[in-house]
Amino acid sequence: MWRWALTGLTGLILASCDMPRDPERTTSLVGETGTIRLGWIENAQADGHVCDALAELQETTGADLQIRRGDSEEILAELAEGKIDLAYGNFAMDSPWSKEVHFGRAIGWRAKPPKHESVQRFAMRHGENGWIMTVEKAARP
Amino acid sequence: MSGLPEAIAGDMHKAKRLEWWTLIGMASVVVVMYFAMGSSQAMKTAFLEDLLGLVPAATFLFATRLESKNPTERHPFGFVRVNSLAFLTSAVVLATMGLWLFYSGVTALLKQEHPTIGPITVFGHTIWLGWVMIAALAYSVVIPTILGRHKKPIAENLRDKVLHTDAQMQKADWQTGLAGILGIIGIGLGFWWADAAAAAFISLSILFDGVKNVRIASAELLDGAPRKLKGSGLSPEAVRLRERLERHYPSARVRVRESGRYMIADLRGIEVPAIVPSLDELMGSDPGWRLAEINFTPPDCAREDLEN
Repeated sequence: MWRWALTGLTGLILASCDMPRDPERTTSLVGETGTIRLGWIENAQADGHVCDALAELQETTGADLQIRRGDSEEILAELAEGKIDLAYGNFAMDSPWSKEVHFGRAIGWRAKPPKHESVQRFAMRHGENGWIMTVEKAARP
Repeated sequence: MSGLPEAIAGDMHKAKRLEWWTLIGMASVVVVMYFAMGSSQAMKTAFLEDLLGLVPAATFLFATRLESKNPTERHPFGFVRVNSLAFLTSAVVLATMGLWLFYSGVTALLKQEHPTIGPITVFGHTIWLGWVMIAALAYSVVIPTILGRHKKPIAENLRDKVLHTDAQMQKADWQTGLAGILGIIGIGLGFWWADAAAAAFISLSILFDGVKNVRIASAELLDGAPRKLKGSGLSPEAVRLRERLERHYPSARVRVRESGRYMIADLRGIEVPAIVPSLDELMGSDPGWRLAEINFTPPDCAREDLEN
């Protein structure tokens, strides 16, 4: 029994080397297609921090941006459905959309802004933990 | 009936010390789990179970404090049965929480919720929060494993169901920790359902333990025959006592019930004997302190006799 447990544990450790992965394969699909489908909320401004984060993301994934503009309802609904990989705009953490999608860190902020304040952030699909890690690493100050 | 028999005073002292360590140790686990919890259902379930793990320890300490109190005018039989009440309380808490956690786990599975575990920045390095959760869960496994092992033999010596439930819960705690780790690893490997499935699995074990303990506690409060410490079967000690009493008093109707950790024998339909057999004779190789009282009810003294 111990041999089986040890084998299982070794397998688990080996499999966990590239954790976290995405249940819906966003990171893999971005790599395979060479495209990041980015939803851009209309009127959202991009400062130097956002441009740096996007450039870093392109470099890390080796993929190009395919930008699609729209209002926040439309873009976030598409993100939740998996039609796009990433959304950018001004979002408050206490937005009702936070149940449907994952809001990343506030870009350009060192501290955490108040939950009700709309600040520039990326939004990703819930549960796509590998992709969330990749985007958040690119967006860190 | 008041005070604690000498024979179990040492074990009781050890049990109290262990329960204080449980409160300190499990409180530290609860704090660590709270800060590492995130949005994982399995982690939330494990956190709540650890939090609940404090209930039997606290009720044990409360009950033992009351148990040794002298009888009062309002409570002329003392407070021995506070142990039974404490046992029922912890069992109901256990069952209710198990049911609620099972519902949450199954709901998350049915809604196909994809749990998000994002990154965390520690000392300038961005790492996956899942690793922090796994470390917290591993810590939550260590303390109950050590404490639970020490409690079981003492609970058996004391015939203490609250302490035994506590030891059982500590077993559930470390199993929960391991299931939680598997749930987090499952999320990390891209299996969104692993977390909720682990949570539902953990909650089932909590629920079953709770229901079993509610049944045992209810039997005790309904003056049922003494039950085993592990399970709802009749206590072999009580069965042996009844058989010995039946041999000594063949014409009596012998009933044995449980009052806290003690047994009370009731012999109906015989005159009060001039000489009662010694405790050693009645209890044999079983611990004598368990027999707290023998009550004799002469013929035509019980209500049903008077009515006929």
